[in-house]
Amino acid sequence: MKAAIRSSALARIFLVAGFGVALSAMPANAQKAGGSITVGLELDIPGFDVLKVGVYDTAALTASSALFDTLTTLDANGKPQPRLAVSWEPSEDFKMWTFKLRPGVKFHDGTPFNAAAFKANFDRQKDPANKCRCAFYISNVSNVQAPDELTLVYNLSDPSVNFPSLVSYASQTNAIHSPTAWKTKGDDYNRNPVGAGPYILKSWTAGDRMILEKNPDYWDKDKVYFDRITLKPLPDAQSRFASLQSGEVDLIWDDEFSADNIQKAQKDSKLTVHTYAGSGAAVYAMNTKTPPFDDVRVRQALVMALDRKKMSQAITNGLSRPASNPYGDGSWVKCKDDGALPEDLEKAKALIKDYGKPVDFKMLVTATPRGRTVGQVLQQLWKRAGANMEIEQVDQATIPPRAFMRQFQLTPWRIVDLADPDIQMYANFHTGSPVALANYSNPELDKLLEQARVTADQNKRVDLYCEITRLINKEAIWFWTFQNTYYAISSAKLKGLPKMYSGMIDVSRTWKE
Amino acid sequence: MAFFVARRLLYLVPVLITVSLLTFSIASLLPGDLAYTILGDQATPENVAALRHDMGLDQPIWWRYLSWLGNVLQGDFGRSFRTGQTVLQAVAERLPVSIELMLLAQLGALAIGVPLAIVCAARSGGPFDRFMTGTAFGMLSVPTFLSAILLIYFFAVELRWLPATGYVPFAEDPVANLRFFVLPSLTLALAEWPGIMRILRSDMIATLQEDYIALAKAKGLTPARILFVHALKPSSLTLVTITGINIGRLIGGAVIVETVFALPGIGRLLVSAIGTRDLIILQGVVLLVAAGFVIMNFIVDLLYAVLDPRIRHGHA
Repeated sequence: MKAAIRSSALARIFLVAGFGVALSAMPANAQKAGGSITVGLELDIPGFDVLKVGVYDTAALTASSALFDTLTTLDANGKPQPRLAVSWEPSEDFKMWTFKLRPGVKFHDGTPFNAAAFKANFDRQKDPANKCRCAFYISNVSNVQAPDELTLVYNLSDPSVNFPSLVSYASQTNAIHSPTAWKTKGDDYNRNPVGAGPYILKSWTAGDRMILEKNPDYWDKDKVYFDRITLKPLPDAQSRFASLQSGEVDLIWDDEFSADNIQKAQKDSKLTVHTYAGSGAAVYAMNTKTPPFDDVRVRQALVMALDRKKMSQAITNGLSRPASNPYGDGSWVKCKDDGALPEDLEKAKALIKDYGKPVDFKMLVTATPRGRTVGQVLQQLWKRAGANMEIEQVDQATIPPRAFMRQFQLTPWRIVDLADPDIQMYANFHTGSPVALANYSNPELDKLLEQARVTADQNKRVDLYCEITRLINKEAIWFWTFQNTYYAISSAKLKGLPKMYSGMIDVSRTWKE
Repeated sequence: MAFFVARRLLYLVPVLITVSLLTFSIASLLPGDLAYTILGDQATPENVAALRHDMGLDQPIWWRYLSWLGNVLQGDFGRSFRTGQTVLQAVAERLPVSIELMLLAQLGALAIGVPLAIVCAARSGGPFDRFMTGTAFGMLSVPTFLSAILLIYFFAVELRWLPATGYVPFAEDPVANLRFFVLPSLTLALAEWPGIMRILRSDMIATLQEDYIALAKAKGLTPARILFVHALKPSSLTLVTITGINIGRLIGGAVIVETVFALPGIGRLLVSAIGTRDLIILQGVVLLVAAGFVIMNFIVDLLYAVLDPRIRHGHA
């Protein structure tokens, strides 16, 4: 039996190697139009009106990527490609970006898409009277101008050399809605969204199915294959996976916390596990204005006492990928030396001994099973080094305000997968930023961050960002535990799923073999 | 009878007021602050203060309770800040699903429990009786989420007879609708039949020792007729009681079952409202569910009085 398996595996390797050559020489014409796809998501989507929902979560992103179009999209190499914008041009100081728009595009309700429609979308979110949570995500944009029908000008408050890749996915800020629709539908717009994307909302039962149908007038309709997309909220991880196994759904959202299912699926030839190693990481900030974190020895000791491999085993069966910098494998920032402190329990103990006072502190933990597990594992790891952490469980929504008001000693945070590190790095580490949670100020660090955001040459930027992370690691004001990995599991017949940038599962251009 | 109904209705008032008070307190005592939840990343101290003022969250709790209750009495249960839906809309959309689930589950539990109780009572102490009482005891200790996953594994993944998750409205496709409901209602029925069987069994054993049963036997009536007609009838009171008690358990079970089987019912609405701190939906739904439960129990009491005159006249 073993021999048989081995030989068939060998045969497969040869076949794959042989086919690989053949495939790369073949044009990609295996796409098949028609049919439908059913997707199992984790959460109920609350709606799409940005003023109401504020932020699109991963479930909403799957729907929004089919319903709405964006100015740009990222290709497989992470480079921005045209969608509703056909070309773009920065000003010399990278504080102004001019986009030329695609002519002749219409929203699903027939409203023409043009610069004025785009500006209306932007202004609605930016207007302080609307008190939109989404405004936070466009705080770096001073305003948007529409000098003519097909020209759009973004004026930024800070330079951004990579701006077109930041407007590339259908988030609450980038998805473009029909102004006519939100004006006429009022309160009902939230559950009756109108975009200009490849699919049109056909029906939506609360807490149940959302059915989308192919948009016959889509400008890029030759690249859209399924006639129909059905999205279902399946909150329970086990029954969601069972629905995939039984063939009721073709693709499901998943994450590392249902590691068993992912590992089962990896062994199942009828299923494909799609993973995307994004940039960013799960991170933690220490408030350096509160003891014991005002002493670098304590901060370094906590970081050295981490055993990320053990943590990963305990939390996600070893699926979580350790992180020693905030960029991760998914980023174009690759550092030969990121200055990571070694995981060395003895050194950690010695540092705490050297500090000489008891190390007692509280850590904010989200009151969810996942949050608690992570908190308890960290507590045990630090205990071994002689530090006593007390878990303070809070509701997820309480963490940002507590963080902004600096009412914490140690808080979890996240650096999300974005095409460019600048926005988050600058916000998290530059003196005076509301999100510079460590309360740490260092002119050298500030200078590096300022340089990195106005340097156009990518190699130079890599050097700068590596310098930045070396400094942060040495000072141990923040630490990083695991990289962002996004998962989807599908039937092996499903093809064409693009990389899950920012965790977005976009099925709008997939097909079945 | 009219007097009895009026008295019972009067009892309902303090109960419902208590329910509303408890519901409101639970929602207010949950950790976290509604203003923070709504504002998220925008929760600067000024924004929070402004929003709390707009929503009246800076008022004393008794004042907030009274104004909420005042709105409720006018039929305004409020609106979700997340979806913009009113509580009544959300409940109206999802109630049919939960009612269908509970009805089918109750029917299933009766279909399993009643025949087994009769057979066990007829041969009480025999091997079948001993085996079934043991099984019932074992079934009582199987948690709903476990039996749900096992059923899904066998019937959906392995045999592919039934869907694992999902829902179709009855009006759209009755057959598909019932197929979707088989596993969830069976899951709930599996948790409910042991209770029905055990109570009905002991009830019938007692009934079978009554004099009139001996008389019926002496008359030469068939055992089947004695069991189903003479012995089961007096036990129907017990069945009504069990059904009344079960409503509460079914509501609790529905929360888990609807989540596992992805049925868009009231239970799911509650779970997602808790998860997203949608307090307005939460307190509205809990109040409506609790009121529904109290009213169902009131109806059970009435049925009781109809079935048994002694209760009506306060002799029982």
